[in-house]
Amino acid sequence: MNVELQIHDSTSPDARFLGWVPSPCRIRVTDPSGTTGPSVNLQITGNTAAGGGQVVLRTGTTGAFATKITVAVPTNGATVPFFAAGRFGQPSSSNGDVSIEVSDRANLIISVPVMVRIRKNANLLSTAERDRFVSAFGKLNDQGKGRFRDFRDMHVAVSLSQAHGAPGFLPWHRSYLLDLERDLQAIDQSVSLPYWRFDQPAPNIFTADFFGTADQNGTVQFSATNPLQFWRTDGQLGVIRRPKFPTSTAPPNLLNEAQTLALGGTFKSFRQMEGNPHGSAHVSFVGSIDNPATAPKDPLFFLLHCNVDRLWAKWQRKFARFDLAVPASFDEIATSRPGHKLSDTMWPWNGVTGHTRPPTAPGGPMSASPCVTAPGPQPRVEDMLDYQGEIASASELGFDYDDALFV
Amino acid sequence: MAGKTRAGRKLKMTRKAKRTREAVGGGRAFWIATNKQKTIQERVSALAHVPMAVGEGDNNLQAVLGVLRDVKEPIEVRLAALQSLQAASFSVVAFESSSGDYRATLRNIAQDENPELRERALSVLAQQKDGFAQKKLLEGLQNPQKALVPPQKALQLLSYDVHADAYKAARAIVNSPPNPVAKSEALRLLSADATAAPMFEKILLDKSESRENRQLSASALHALDPEKMQTLARDIVLDASDYDDIKATSLTALTQFGDNAAFARDQTLRKSVDLMKTRGSDELQLSASQFLSKLEA
Repeated sequence: MNVELQIHDSTSPDARFLGWVPSPCRIRVTDPSGTTGPSVNLQITGNTAAGGGQVVLRTGTTGAFATKITVAVPTNGATVPFFAAGRFGQPSSSNGDVSIEVSDRANLIISVPVMVRIRKNANLLSTAERDRFVSAFGKLNDQGKGRFRDFRDMHVAVSLSQAHGAPGFLPWHRSYLLDLERDLQAIDQSVSLPYWRFDQPAPNIFTADFFGTADQNGTVQFSATNPLQFWRTDGQLGVIRRPKFPTSTAPPNLLNEAQTLALGGTFKSFRQMEGNPHGSAHVSFVGSIDNPATAPKDPLFFLLHCNVDRLWAKWQRKFARFDLAVPASFDEIATSRPGHKLSDTMWPWNGVTGHTRPPTAPGGPMSASPCVTAPGPQPRVEDMLDYQGEIASASELGFDYDDALFV
Repeated sequence: MAGKTRAGRKLKMTRKAKRTREAVGGGRAFWIATNKQKTIQERVSALAHVPMAVGEGDNNLQAVLGVLRDVKEPIEVRLAALQSLQAASFSVVAFESSSGDYRATLRNIAQDENPELRERALSVLAQQKDGFAQKKLLEGLQNPQKALVPPQKALQLLSYDVHADAYKAARAIVNSPPNPVAKSEALRLLSADATAAPMFEKILLDKSESRENRQLSASALHALDPEKMQTLARDIVLDASDYDDIKATSLTALTQFGDNAAFARDQTLRKSVDLMKTRGSDELQLSASQFLSKLEA
């Protein structure tokens, strides 16, 4: 007997990535040799390598997850749906460190390697995770000639009104990070964007092997094995960044996570975080990251914003703010500039230029994912809210944070 | 008793959230930040928590700009005021109407007596490609008596918007560096100059040059003339007399950006790198392993 497993309803190896959100999977018998009767009972389990991610399963869209399920699969080739997710708190550290296995009684029929791919605290990454990330980031930059140039050009002085100082601040940056992360994953599928928890000491981030250490002039130094030594933006080599705080022992002086989540239960009150801690984190350094127009020249920008996005995700969970129909989920203002209302498409992915939008739209549409369909090539502000597909499963954006649960 | 009921707990939580908001932003923090009767520590701490309040009204913005401009204010408070303004500048809308005042204030304090304040103001202006700041930075390089910041800082800040005059000044520093850091910054600035490739090649191959400048030259040359750098990187890796960190940088360049198919055919290189997996510095061993892993992938 042979069996086919589909992850995200796909047989493609590119789709074999799970988060905390249950992913639609299918199983079917492709060769019924040796079976008798119209169906066969098959056991589906997750098999974890030492230190690897863990998978949980269930047969329907609701109900409890289990480590093992049994499904009756027709022998005529029809598919049977089931759902797989990463076990919260047990993400993978490398691609294929957990497998979904199918067995018939004691006989293993098929084993499909998957990854519980989750955005993690950059300070806690393993050496291998760190090295894969900087390698992919270095390739995305490709000495200033790579795709990263689009991301640099998306966040410049002329485009700041699209992304800052208005309700679209958090949705725009969520989209920005997602686009970048998908491009990193096109280079190395095992990579996800880590976050810099700027309210905690980060001794493992500001090292020569990761995001570098500042010399006496505030120019960042990297080790000889770090691909970021070739980092180049706007034609210029290197990163300028001098911290104003002792990176190894203390965080910058800004609102911590608890204080940020206590800003209030409406989006209007929560989005004050654009000033503190977001702006405060930016200006905790002297260098390109402390100015809105130059900030993405520093790759640390994306880890900082990943934490900003994570705080939004945690706030959304705390106050149940995923639903567009709940007014407190967003700060909808009739007079907001284009790009800051729920139904607005966002620049530059919408390709709209001129008038109230910037004169050019670098980068083209949003990169697609092999795992999910949202948000589509031209994301709207509203597409960024239900990132886990809690309100509508088709809205899932395909990323999760290590400490932001899906319920 | 009320606190033990559901409604009581909710009320308590609401009050706590309100207190937190008041403590970390808004009116009271702003009042402390601009109140000269308060201690320096209190004002600095308050300024860290007022970025959104700064942007809420022109009066608030003007008050913080006033603190920044006031030479009688303690320097710690002025630096904190600048930091608060910078954080607020991320909420662009609030700054649109006052960007002229902000820029004028920055230009003013770029010539302040305090070197840290000067440097930070020039840094913000240089990021904004401000002509006044660029002129002052170049003047300082050409005439050190007029320098507002050390030459290495001036070169670094000019790199935000490089143009011909900056290249000229950087070349002069490379030829006659006032200190090693200034030379490194001049080289970094010239990394965008396509005509500088021969200079970087020379420095990369000069074993008497500092290792930092050789590594920097490798990075610069790799972007300016990738084919040349691939050849030189291979030569350096095979050169038994060269330093491990330079070899490691060369191997990292080959691993990240090199032609895998060509390396797979290059048995001499492969054998040599294979030996490096267990010999030499940790960096060299790691870069060798990464190179070979890529070939095997």
